[in-house]
Amino acid sequence: MHRYRFVLFRPVQFLPVLFGISIITFILVRLIPGDPARVLLGTRSTPTAIARIRAQYGLDEPLWLQYFYFLENLGKGEMGKSILYKIDVLKLIATRIEPTLSLVLTSVLLSILIAVPMSAIAARNNGRLADHAVRIVSTFGIGFPPFWLALMLIILFSVRLGIFPVSGYGETIGDKLAHLALPSLTIALSLSAVLTRSLRAAMIVALKSDLATAARARGMPENIVFWRHVLPNSLVPTVNLLAVNTGWLIGGTVVVETVFALPGMGQLLVRAIFSRDYMVVQGVAMVFACATVLVNFFADIVTVSLDPRVRL
Amino acid sequence: MTGPVLSVRDLTARVSIDGETRTLIDAVSFDLCRGEILGLVGESGSGKSMICRALVKLLPSPAIAITGGSVLLGGRDLLALDEDVMRAVRGVEIGMIFQNPTSHLDPVMRIGDQIAEGIRYHQGFGRDQARLAAVDILGQVGFPHPERQFDSYPHELSGGMRQRAMIAIALSCNPKILIADEPTTALDVTIQAQILRLLLDLRDKRGLSIILITHDLGIVAQTCDSIAVLRNGQLLEKGPKRRVLAEPQHAYTASLLKSHPSMPEEGGVMAVTQVAPQMTARPLLEIDDLVVRFPTPGLGLFKKGKMNISAVNGVSLRIMPGETVGIVGESGSGKSTLARAILGLTPLTSGHISFEGSDLAQQRRLTLAKLRTEAAMVFQDPYNALNPRLTIGDMLAEVLAVQGNTSQVGISNRIGELLDLVELDRSFATRLPRSMSGGQCQRAGIARALAVNPKLIIADECVAALDVTIQSQIIELFRDLKVRMNLTLLFIAHDLAIVRNLCDRVVVMHRGEIVEEGRCNVVFANPRHAYTAALISAIPDIDPDKPLPQGDLPPRSESKTPRALRFRSLISTQ
Repeated sequence: MHRYRFVLFRPVQFLPVLFGISIITFILVRLIPGDPARVLLGTRSTPTAIARIRAQYGLDEPLWLQYFYFLENLGKGEMGKSILYKIDVLKLIATRIEPTLSLVLTSVLLSILIAVPMSAIAARNNGRLADHAVRIVSTFGIGFPPFWLALMLIILFSVRLGIFPVSGYGETIGDKLAHLALPSLTIALSLSAVLTRSLRAAMIVALKSDLATAARARGMPENIVFWRHVLPNSLVPTVNLLAVNTGWLIGGTVVVETVFALPGMGQLLVRAIFSRDYMVVQGVAMVFACATVLVNFFADIVTVSLDPRVRL
Repeated sequence: MTGPVLSVRDLTARVSIDGETRTLIDAVSFDLCRGEILGLVGESGSGKSMICRALVKLLPSPAIAITGGSVLLGGRDLLALDEDVMRAVRGVEIGMIFQNPTSHLDPVMRIGDQIAEGIRYHQGFGRDQARLAAVDILGQVGFPHPERQFDSYPHELSGGMRQRAMIAIALSCNPKILIADEPTTALDVTIQAQILRLLLDLRDKRGLSIILITHDLGIVAQTCDSIAVLRNGQLLEKGPKRRVLAEPQHAYTASLLKSHPSMPEEGGVMAVTQVAPQMTARPLLEIDDLVVRFPTPGLGLFKKGKMNISAVNGVSLRIMPGETVGIVGESGSGKSTLARAILGLTPLTSGHISFEGSDLAQQRRLTLAKLRTEAAMVFQDPYNALNPRLTIGDMLAEVLAVQGNTSQVGISNRIGELLDLVELDRSFATRLPRSMSGGQCQRAGIARALAVNPKLIIADECVAALDVTIQSQIIELFRDLKVRMNLTLLFIAHDLAIVRNLCDRVVVMHRGEIVEEGRCNVVFANPRHAYTAALISAIPDIDPDKPLPQGDLPPRSESKTPRALRFRSLISTQ
């Protein structure tokens, strides 16, 4: 099992990556014009009140010292306090992370469930009607903006058919899944289109490959040739494409979260940016970065398990 | 031998593209008896692979259709069977192996599972039963540890072992007929001999009938019982091996036989005496204790890889102006790395290369400048080595313009001269590589090498991808050019017969080291090193009375030790 040895020491490589990301987000957040104290005080702001708030949150210290405190807190497992919500950033994130993670997970699963059969139908009927139909559908999937798709789905499934709730999030698992159905479908429609394009192309190549010919030459029926030989040999590029898209999705659910009023990380981040809530922006960015790194790490493990030739 | 197992009558296949129909197989008929090995011989495009695909109805494109004839197997016409029955025929009655085992094996599936797959599907065996059967077959085709190697993936095996695995898959359901499509073309000579011996052995043990497709008449002479010669989809002649080899009825068969490199040629010996190297002169190229190592990939982000793969390990060589030196060895012997190192295309780990007295390691810029104007390379794959977007004329003009020795006006004149030199019509200047044959592309590649007016040409396996008759034409061209232009030629090949025909001196490489060097006629007549001897005896000779290296192999015994291993240990030097 030495092919999986990278699982042990890859996490060591995460540290410099996360360190770099912490510096970049720290500086970028402070480059945004505006002042959190002013935003917080609103109309009540006076120079003394602003100075008091700034001192309270350590914003009057030099930048490098602020960064040092930030790192020191990180070491203690803290990310400071939100200026807006007045609670610990980590606690704040903890209340918001579950809807976003659930949304990403259901979207990715749904995309795979759509993309694999669609690609299979298209590739096995290459050049015929079914292939063209899949290509047209996936072009639409990529082309339509998610907010429009979301509204159409709401009109169809919630307003007309009344199957799924319009917006919000539930308490029980069943209730949550019902609320996640349309947001996940919105994301999956475009994500599966991207995956289908890549998977379909790989499958077409693999169907014509020597290994498929050899399998047919030993009398294997076309179904076995396809599912046992062609599919495993066409998955790897799409796995990596899915990883990149999932990384993007984790930070990119904001539009869908807004349309469906899901209380997730995307919404939290947008509000934090508008109110210059530095600690929250930093914290959320760090969480997104960690998630992206982890998704790619997971994709590497999947790649290694799919292809015995891959060494990492 | 009893009546035929397989009987092919007037098999015809046509391809239609854009309403145009072309005949690929033209009314081919032949019989295959039990235990017979039939050699299907012909050059690329002769339809020999197509026939075999047609026999099992696995045509490479839906545009190709079988339009007539019959294929009788056990009283049934295969062409009339529907797909379900045909699948059982493919798995159980006719096995198939292919030229490139690497691409025909599923890289993500264990070898054993690929063998067991057919057994389970066609014979309805359970998982454990199928595993036992597969392990047994692996042992029969020469896997030393079948139990353990059942679980290997294709990439963990050598090329020869991969081909053995393919054979094991093909034989998994005890077929009566094995179709072998160029089964040894991608393999080294010594491995080729092992695989051919294995096929003969299986034929004897199982009474297997084999259709062996090959372009190499030496292989046919050594292994087949009868020969069928094909050209342009037509069967030109068919008969017992000895009759066809001794008295070919068709002129084309005779020309195929004549161009086989193991045939002694007068010209080769003459050339050697004509251009005797001037031993008193300064060597054109001097290599001293050259070592080239490649790093193995390191683990982790910050650890550097160790330089521990030696491709070339302490090679010293002197090449005189006007000399033709052949470098032979199997894949992985370091011959191509040596060529790249000489041209400064690969960093040297230690040692010296000096070209006309300037040292590549010490005066890198100067020597490289010299090499770029006075040395040139001809590559193995003629198509990939030419830019597909440039016409041959543009490609040559580019070289001439970069060299800067030819005036703008003189360039088109010079292009014409170069095409004349390589015996291409001047109209080729406006052609693109994709509209040319392999042989024509290789001539264009040679013209490009000549465009720099080189003193030294390094040809790296430059005929390996070509058909035999084209091969001998290119060899003829080299022989002619080296006399006319006083070229020094470094000719790298795995095919010893070609080197013997063309070169004055031969250098035998094995695992990055020179194991033997000397004048061609001396080395080939009297090899001093065991590895050279093994290489030479492994060449299938066109004379059927000079058998494959049987003497090197242990006598058939009950012992489970595979022949391959013993043969390997015999030829290995370390």
